[in-house]
Amino acid sequence: MNREALHTPLYVIVHPFNGYWDLKYECSQKKSLILSFGILFMLILTNILGSQYSGFLVNLNNPKDLNSLLETAYVLVPVLFWCVANWSLTTLMDGEGKFVEIFITTCFALIPIVLINFPWIWVSNIITAQESSFYYFFKNFAVIWSGLLLFVGIMTVHQFSPSKTIGTILLTVVAMAFMAFLALLFFSLIQQIVEFISTITQEIVLRG
Amino acid sequence: MVASMKKRKAGLLALCCLVSLGLGGELVQAESAAPSYNYSYWGDNVAAPSAYEATTLITGISSGAGDFKNPQDIQVTSDKQIYLLDTGNNRFVVLDQNYKSVRTLDSFLLKGKADHFNNPQGIFVTDQKEIYVADTGNKRIVHFDSRFNAVGVIESPKSELLQANFDFQPVRVAVDKANRIYVMSAGVFDGFMEFGADGAFKSFMGANRVHVDPVDYFWKSISTQAQREQMVMYTPTEFTNLDMNDEGFLYATNGDEYGDPIKKLNAQGADILRREGYYKPSGDIMYSTLSGGAPRLVDIDVGDSEMYSVLDAKRGRVFTYNGDGYLMFILGGLGNRLGEFNTPAAIEHNGDDILVLDQTLGEITVFQTTDYGRTLNDAVRSYYRGDEEQAYQLFSKVVNMNANMEYAYAGIGKAHLRKGEYKEAVQYFKRSMDRTNYSKAFLLYRKEVLREHFSTIMTVVIALVIIWQIWRMYRKMRARKKVVLH
Repeated sequence: MNREALHTPLYVIVHPFNGYWDLKYECSQKKSLILSFGILFMLILTNILGSQYSGFLVNLNNPKDLNSLLETAYVLVPVLFWCVANWSLTTLMDGEGKFVEIFITTCFALIPIVLINFPWIWVSNIITAQESSFYYFFKNFAVIWSGLLLFVGIMTVHQFSPSKTIGTILLTVVAMAFMAFLALLFFSLIQQIVEFISTITQEIVLRG
Repeated sequence: MVASMKKRKAGLLALCCLVSLGLGGELVQAESAAPSYNYSYWGDNVAAPSAYEATTLITGISSGAGDFKNPQDIQVTSDKQIYLLDTGNNRFVVLDQNYKSVRTLDSFLLKGKADHFNNPQGIFVTDQKEIYVADTGNKRIVHFDSRFNAVGVIESPKSELLQANFDFQPVRVAVDKANRIYVMSAGVFDGFMEFGADGAFKSFMGANRVHVDPVDYFWKSISTQAQREQMVMYTPTEFTNLDMNDEGFLYATNGDEYGDPIKKLNAQGADILRREGYYKPSGDIMYSTLSGGAPRLVDIDVGDSEMYSVLDAKRGRVFTYNGDGYLMFILGGLGNRLGEFNTPAAIEHNGDDILVLDQTLGEITVFQTTDYGRTLNDAVRSYYRGDEEQAYQLFSKVVNMNANMEYAYAGIGKAHLRKGEYKEAVQYFKRSMDRTNYSKAFLLYRKEVLREHFSTIMTVVIALVIIWQIWRMYRKMRARKKVVLH
């Protein structure tokens, strides 16, 4: 099983059209879901290790500010936002993808970032400033690759035309911004309510 | 290489530990720093030993010249005489090495007539001890020879560069070796006024850049001419002070919050200050808007080896930078104790001592170096001279006294690099967060390691290739056998 399971993600990233088709219609969803969580975990790990162990020349993070929980949130929150926003939109736009499928597609699209960035964490320790342009080139390359995979994945999972996919992706980004705004609003309101209650309690306690 | 291997190993083995390592959250930091502090590479304030200590207070009474009233400027000559411009009393006073008054000048003969100062704001003494006083109230600059005879005067210049209603209010003055006179005049936005040795006005130089707020610019661009005239004009910020170093470069401070508050101007008025430090020289970099916002630099003083100090009037602090723009130390503050000021107005160095003039209290505080300050000054000087061996020793001493002094590690690293000790150089450059030099040292270090272990590396590579080939042949053979069996 192991060999087979690892074969699928690697197949998807180099043959996205066939790969995503198989993923949607052929593969067992449970297995893919487990793999997706695995990929997310690897991505989080890559980011955390990257900000701690990247070479001095390319690591511009203050080690004092490193927070693994935040790094985790920086991966999970955008992915979840993306999936929710995309699912909400495509449901209205006759997309065929279910939420789980969107999630699996998104996670599989992130594989190149893990595959390229992880070795570069260690390689970046033995490069000089001139060679760091390779580092940045590969980082950008990984992002572009992932972007293309995401595009193909979304197109396949919803059975959209390319132009409709582009439109959906743009709208999804807008929807994500909306969600972020609402979340911020929600949190700031909750914070004010909590503050209000705590002030009142304090006042009552002090007067009583 | 070894260190990175170790790191790699640790990283792979203890993933869980690593992940939990980062859970610590943020450290709590106090708003006000330790009594003496410096800024780290990351912009945090870190404790530092004090480089200077206030030792003496010079007042009008102690000097024997009578109370100083609202003094605005001081100037120290190379033979350690202090010229103090006692603005409120319309005079200047010369103090000797023991801070005793040796000469007071409040009236002088000019063109055969007795004359007086009126609210003079700036004084400059050349190497030949000629004295230039910006006699602000009388709108002129008075030039004295070394025997205190008034020999010349510069009055409001006439030039087509100047507007008809131009008001000449000289407040600070500096003179270079060729006796060109640079004047900072109040209300002038075009930079410093440059006068020739004969006192003729030449031109303006070194105007500050205008900062334009995009929002304001938008409104201005869509408003009518009449509306535009009602709006605030975009004018460059005025300079707040100037000084001249021994090579004839002007150092100037201005109240520019957006641009560069410290400038070094060449003869063409171009800014050539080196800003290679962890951040631009500009006084405090961490401040809250509640406590007054950005620093207001009011005076600058250039010492030897391109070191310079600026004075922030808002918080009464003196910041000393080296020629590359690295912050060396900070001293002073507002308060009532010795070594703190009420309204600091001017700063000068006297040998290694630093003098700060307080205008309201009418006194000069003399700061003298501590062991740490002396070592740091000497280290920077040795490095400036190119004496790397001595710089190495002194910088090592500095980091022993102050492990937070990141800049000093670069000095040590450079010495190691020069000696060919690349591994040490790499480590020290990393500690000083000096990426450019780190890269240079690392390149050499990597070359060295590769050369040293060339045979091992090649053996391993060749062995791997052979093993791989053998494995492939083995697989092929097995596959063939299977086919045969079937």
